[in-house]
Amino acid sequence: MKLFFTLWGASLRSRMQYKGNFLFSSFTYGLIMAVDFLMLAAILLRFDDVMGWTIYEVGYLYGIASASMSLYRLLAPEIHEFERYMVEGEFDSLLIRPVPPLTLLLTRNLELSRIGGVVQGIAILVLSLHGLAATTHWLPALLYLPVAFISGLIISFALGLITATLAFWTQRIKDFQAFTLYAPNNAASYPMSIYPGWLKWILFTVLPVAFIAYVPALYLLDKGGTWHNLWVSPAVAGVFLWISLRFWRFGIRYYHSTGS
Amino acid sequence: MVYWELLIKNIKVQFQYRIAHMINNLGSLIFGFIYIAIWVGVLTGKEEGSPYSATDMTHYMAYGQALLWMTIFLTPGLGIPNRVRNGAISLEMARPVSYFTYTAAQEAGRIIYNLCFRSIPILLIFALTVGIHLPTNPISYLWMTVAAAVAIWLSINLHYLIGISACWTYEISGAHFMIVTLLFGLGGQLVPLDLLPGNLGLWAQWLPFAGVLYTPVIIYLEKAGMEALLIPVLWASVLTLFNLWLTGRARRKLEIQGG
Repeated sequence: MKLFFTLWGASLRSRMQYKGNFLFSSFTYGLIMAVDFLMLAAILLRFDDVMGWTIYEVGYLYGIASASMSLYRLLAPEIHEFERYMVEGEFDSLLIRPVPPLTLLLTRNLELSRIGGVVQGIAILVLSLHGLAATTHWLPALLYLPVAFISGLIISFALGLITATLAFWTQRIKDFQAFTLYAPNNAASYPMSIYPGWLKWILFTVLPVAFIAYVPALYLLDKGGTWHNLWVSPAVAGVFLWISLRFWRFGIRYYHSTGS
Repeated sequence: MVYWELLIKNIKVQFQYRIAHMINNLGSLIFGFIYIAIWVGVLTGKEEGSPYSATDMTHYMAYGQALLWMTIFLTPGLGIPNRVRNGAISLEMARPVSYFTYTAAQEAGRIIYNLCFRSIPILLIFALTVGIHLPTNPISYLWMTVAAAVAIWLSINLHYLIGISACWTYEISGAHFMIVTLLFGLGGQLVPLDLLPGNLGLWAQWLPFAGVLYTPVIIYLEKAGMEALLIPVLWASVLTLFNLWLTGRARRKLEIQGG
């Protein structure tokens, strides 16, 4: 663990050498994601709600989903860009170090510009909770946020790791990510009740993003869930993380170098 | 004809990655289903106050999702920034062809590939699952094709403008993100521009971004006639002239990095 933080510290220091670029790119990412939410706000401003969910309630889901994805992109860029290690044959150099490859990958780099996305997610949450203050129990929704961020980060990371592991067989993973990461994360930003049955089934099982925000929000926002929803999400996140780590180890065993 | 050769060659290059692209199409379809679900959820029971019915919006999102691959998801800066960085641009500009047409022809190859292997398969799946709008008036098919062609012309110009600016700035990733965001937001990808609040909905229709997605989609849905193409054609013409002028400046300015 100590090694983990030492490597992390070094990576952080190296990234902060370019402060101007960091500030500009953080601002740009935050802005881009804000435009996306503004479009949704424009719809709900005109039509009031989507299947009984108001803009503040959807905002609660949206804020958690986008902060979770940004946290994953911030902390694990080398997992996200893993195909580089396969295509350029760099993975060999990780295997000969005395540290597990996953630890090395997680400490190699931090994509600090994604902080903009985290800030944007939190800003949407602040606005949404402010809007919810008059109507529901906003305090439990606020207190639950740290748990939601952690389970959201873990589910996003596990999805990222499973996708990265596919690279051991397919080399390239960029095209998978649209299906395994971007689309599900986008889906997690809205209530699952709007989706057709087959899509709902996928989002609760194979790509379990429903547990990032929707499941606990059902109870917290008084949408018909029980208090059990609060512990189910972190539990699913834990199990899914365990599955992804097993799959990663399985993938490494089948790794063949490209020989470059 | 050299431009034709470039176009065909680039289709062949893209064809090498067809299986990866088919997998990516799944992601694109899921995005489409999410947007359709949002609109159906929003409009259920509220269709009276809206110029678009839930079925309209389903067709709007499905067609938009197919069109994206030809008008918004172009190569960042049409690949010019890489050639500025490795110096290849000096040789390309020295050739006795128009650099603008040379770059546009290569991108056109990719767009034709995307039409066959992304847009049409995506639209077919939507047609089989949520249904498809088929224009009732035969002339609408002509305008729909013209509108898509204008959208592509406009988008190539917007992306070329970002790309050629690399001769001065070297780095365009921020500018590319910005243009894609504007194309999504003010291009009417999630929200038809006439539904945007207040004056934003009005002036967004005067900007070039509208012609890239919103205009071709409403022409396809037969909610607007060919007159809606006037502003996009004007923008595309102005941008083409400006890009040709800028290419001339770039040729004179050209600084080669390590070439």
